[in-house]
Amino acid sequence: MLRFFGSRLLRAAVTIVMVVTFAFIVLRLSGDPAQIIMGADAPPEAVDAFRTAWGLDQPVWLQYFHYFGAIFQGDLGRSMRDGRDAIVLVMERIPATLALTIPALLIKLGLGIPAGITAALHRNSFIDRAVMLMAVAGFTVPSFVLGLLLVLVFAVQLGWLPSGGQESWRHAILPIITMGVGGAAVLARFTRSAMLEVLGQPYIRTASAKGVPWRAVVWGHALPNAAIPTVTIVGFMVGSLIAGAVVVESVFSWPGVGRLLVVAVANRDLAVVQCILLLVAATMVTANLVVDLLYGLLDPRLRNQPKRATGAA
Amino acid sequence: MSDITAPTSLASAAPPKRGRSLPPPMVLFGLTWLAAMLVIALGADLLSPYSYTALDLRNRLSPPAFMGGTWLHPLGTDELGRDVMARLIYSIRMSLLIAFGATIIGAVIGTTLGFLAAHFRGFVEQVVLALVDFSASLPFLILALSVLAFFGNSMVLFICLLGLHAWERYARIARGLAISAGAQGYAAAVRQLGASPWRIYGRHVLPNIASTLIVSMTLAFPEIILLESGLSFLGLGVQPPATSLGSMVGYGREYLTRAPWILLAPAFTIILTTLSVSLIGDWLRDRLDPTLR
Repeated sequence: MLRFFGSRLLRAAVTIVMVVTFAFIVLRLSGDPAQIIMGADAPPEAVDAFRTAWGLDQPVWLQYFHYFGAIFQGDLGRSMRDGRDAIVLVMERIPATLALTIPALLIKLGLGIPAGITAALHRNSFIDRAVMLMAVAGFTVPSFVLGLLLVLVFAVQLGWLPSGGQESWRHAILPIITMGVGGAAVLARFTRSAMLEVLGQPYIRTASAKGVPWRAVVWGHALPNAAIPTVTIVGFMVGSLIAGAVVVESVFSWPGVGRLLVVAVANRDLAVVQCILLLVAATMVTANLVVDLLYGLLDPRLRNQPKRATGAA
Repeated sequence: MSDITAPTSLASAAPPKRGRSLPPPMVLFGLTWLAAMLVIALGADLLSPYSYTALDLRNRLSPPAFMGGTWLHPLGTDELGRDVMARLIYSIRMSLLIAFGATIIGAVIGTTLGFLAAHFRGFVEQVVLALVDFSASLPFLILALSVLAFFGNSMVLFICLLGLHAWERYARIARGLAISAGAQGYAAAVRQLGASPWRIYGRHVLPNIASTLIVSMTLAFPEIILLESGLSFLGLGVQPPATSLGSMVGYGREYLTRAPWILLAPAFTIILTTLSVSLIGDWLRDRLDPTLR
């Protein structure tokens, strides 16, 4: 058990190091940040001064080590645009993003999982087909299209809800629905297939054959086992609470992390993009780690085997 | 959840029967739609009534013909008087080109790395698995955004970047299947006959796992269309004057109230195309590879 946890922790640490390295490589070798920020016609002295100020005149490997050192001291650099700490800029935006993503996550769970289970239990029935059709539709409609269609209907045509901004709770309704519906569709599809897989297992037949009531078979045997692969995708959704709203925030002009990222990318604001990249990676890695540990608790088979838990995706 | 069927419904959980002569109507619809898209993409220059950059300043923001507009511009025009149908046709070509290119790149990279991991095991395998973990740890959109922003935006880079989407899925599948193929008689037999690794993997293992890989490709293809259109919608993908389905939506958003047709035409094209490929993919998966469910 300890070995299982240890290997998962090590894997998470390696992944974080890789993400940091990736961020460094991409952000440093993509061009000369000094020229980009200062503009092509900036005087050479100003560009040199900028390079010295940001440590860009040192050898790349030295920059790399400094970079690592700085990150683990919590120094993620300052926004090259307005000189404020990148981490502060990002942290300021997190509450706004969570105000959208947490309710959206609740919608996903509350709609998606029951719909998937119901569909699996009534396989090939009308309910199943309806759920699957909705699920496929939810998966194939991109969030920006869904968002804009909702704006067109509820803001432009009916005038019930505002189309963008963050002045009141009413502004949050359309973005939350946009995200929740799409995610619920994905989750319903996934839960259904996890559930079908379990329902086909011999132990379900055994339980039924013993005379266990069907309701008890479902609650006692099918659901706990189907929960195992579903945990993976829920973990992914929890992990993307911070980053999951990039497109939707842009559609609804919602001042969250995603909007900040798009603006920073457009302005080539290195520090802010790095900061968000690392933050998102850290959240994802943590969520994956928790999922792995939950796997270990939920499924005793995984504890003793060194093989990877790839899930049923 | 309130009424739960009797266990007899389990009988229907058996794998679908093989050898059906005709695919279900939804799949037929998908195939037809996809074929139409392909024809449009290939014949864009012949089919398009105008150049996608041609201006018709006297007919700006003209509604589609069925909304009271002129038949000169069947799907209407945008605020510069550019024909929406012409732009749609070229956007379809662009989006399909990107999606095909990226899907193939992803499949080739992923399968190759998966085979390398299966062949060499040991250190190489650990490196590949670490890369797989790395990809899985970042939402692809965030990764793509950072790369695009800092390497600037060129079409080649954009396609290659999207090609990295889902590579880890192919790698995982190819590695797993190649390892199990290695344990089966046929791979060992050709190896004993002195075949080179190229020959073993290219001529013997690949054809045996191709159906699974093709199914994965049909699942990745709509995801790539959605990614491309999302990035282009944000203004960070296909750059003007080139146009794609996503950039048309992003552009049409400015005219949402006055000229919704600019946005609706590409939006429904995206939806129907991804829907078609998904339906075909699901159908293929059920037929070719019940284990992937």
